[in-house]
Amino acid sequence: MSHIAPLPLDAITDPELRALVAEGAALGVPDDLFPRIIARAPEQAVPLLRALLMSHAQGNVDHKLKEIMRILLARFANDKYFASLRSNKARAMGLTEPRIDDGCFDYEDDTKGFSEAEKCALRYADLMFLDANQVDKPFYDEMKKYWSEAQIMELGAFIAFHYGMQMFMRSLGAKAAT
Amino acid sequence: MSADPDAVDAAFFDELRKHYSDDEIVELGAFIGFNLGYHTFFGTLKFYPLFSPDGRLVSQAESEEIYGAAPASLQKPEAAE
Repeated sequence: MSHIAPLPLDAITDPELRALVAEGAALGVPDDLFPRIIARAPEQAVPLLRALLMSHAQGNVDHKLKEIMRILLARFANDKYFASLRSNKARAMGLTEPRIDDGCFDYEDDTKGFSEAEKCALRYADLMFLDANQVDKPFYDEMKKYWSEAQIMELGAFIAFHYGMQMFMRSLGAKAAT
Repeated sequence: MSADPDAVDAAFFDELRKHYSDDEIVELGAFIGFNLGYHTFFGTLKFYPLFSPDGRLVSQAESEEIYGAAPASLQKPEAAE
């Protein structure tokens, strides 16, 4: 049980927010718990939920890679809620649970088959909140070998935003229904 | 939430509720989460305020000298004190 009770789904009447809730339900991330909680702050709910969905499911970086990064971050944040959710889109693209676990725990192992670009992106997510001092100029120089500056900003903003919302949900003790 | 997330427990929320409504707590929590993530990210990008504390437009090099080469968001909690 979350420390803050979510609103009933039918209490969300803003059509824009309801459309985003449906978008999240179709994707699988987030389910309706996150929007039912942030709907208590209605002025923030729409931009926060839109940013969460856009940063994850849109952009110019492979969605499967971002899904692994998202789960890596949620596990690091010890956020049971977001860590338990899975993207239906990523699953349809072929992402499996063993691949997610490899990406979270063994991505540096060459036998796991992650490209140097993927390793670098996963390292970015891994280090950002573990030891941000290691995300320095040499690190960004390495990133630029594989990713455009626009993609690096997409990844950095994605990492920052999702981790922030994961820490928020962790603080609430929130857990997904399934 | 950042330095010791385990301390944000049921008792902590009970204390918060003495001063804030549940709606306000959600607003604060989402705000903190957003800033927790982005300040760390921005810290890695090494950009600094465009203006000095007295309002002068300054170069990034001078701003780094003023505001520090190691932003507080990159410090471990014990080192930031």
